[in-house]
Amino acid sequence: MATNVKDKDAYLRLNFLYQAAHCVLATNPENVELARFYCHTEKNISKRLVLRQDPSVKRTICKKCCSLLVPGVTATVRQRKCRQRQRKTVVRCLSCGKTKQFLNNPSYVLWGDRPESQPQYPQSQSKQVATQKPPVNSKTAR
Amino acid sequence: MALAYIATKEHSPQESKQAKAFIDSFLKRSLHNLQEEEIQRHTDYKAVVLEHKYNGKKTQKKKKSKGLSAKQKREMKLFHLKPEQQRSVFLPLNELWKQYIRDLCNGLSPESNPQMIQSKLLKADFHGAIVTVTKSKCPSYVGTTGIILQETKHVFRIVTQHDRLKVIPKRNSVFTVEIDGFITHVYGSKFQLKSSERSAKKFKLKGTIDL
Repeated sequence: MATNVKDKDAYLRLNFLYQAAHCVLATNPENVELARFYCHTEKNISKRLVLRQDPSVKRTICKKCCSLLVPGVTATVRQRKCRQRQRKTVVRCLSCGKTKQFLNNPSYVLWGDRPESQPQYPQSQSKQVATQKPPVNSKTAR
Repeated sequence: MALAYIATKEHSPQESKQAKAFIDSFLKRSLHNLQEEEIQRHTDYKAVVLEHKYNGKKTQKKKKSKGLSAKQKREMKLFHLKPEQQRSVFLPLNELWKQYIRDLCNGLSPESNPQMIQSKLLKADFHGAIVTVTKSKCPSYVGTTGIILQETKHVFRIVTQHDRLKVIPKRNSVFTVEIDGFITHVYGSKFQLKSSERSAKKFKLKGTIDL
């Protein structure tokens, strides 16, 4: 992470909360509530301070009940057909039943990684907002 | 066809006669299996009352809300912790928290400016910290030690050494947090905020601290 990032403390806190949720779930898979609480606070902090969450983080948190989606523990992951020769990954939250769907498209590039999402003028390039540091034990959704 | 018939009425009488004749013959040719009267009836000038069609109140589609309402959350008991929690399970959480605090304060050292650390700790997260109640209006709380599991607006939920979940109100008590020999007092009465809101709030420096 760059040294002069605005809201560094908040980013650290988000990182810590996300890791804490993973830590709690890893040590005791029954304790879904606590992990959910951590994710809820994380979501609220990022909402209040208007901090963008990395997609890899966002995809592992249920949109409805804020629980951490760990495949096999709090979520089921299935491959489904959607069109000819197209498959999608369906992640279902086990506590509320909300599903997330991701098309299996290997050539898909996230908006943040695309060249046109970066500001064009050279002066502002030094002020690029760094995305959240991906936590150590993060699991990408795809 | 009726339209054409109506339109012809507006022209001069001779023209209209010709047109009428033409239309009559045309109608006879094309609708030869119908009687003349019937044709007349079909092509008569009819006043059509255009009504405003009103079929009841249109039900507006309710926006499908993605989240849950507060009531639903309460009913689902999303954040209710079970009373039996083991302390040993949360020791890794405590380790993680210590790392986080060290990271936040760039390595705690006795020379570092205490005010800066205090201001950072104010906005830090306390989940996973080992906390002791040092002062309280209620004497039975004094001396309880444990790892904070949950921090809500008015309450800390901690796990004590005897594997019990204890609920300690923030109000009227002073907590002590120790990190690497650095002891911080947390005045609970000033801390009565949701833990997520604390990071956005500005704290006032002055103010009477009262138990």
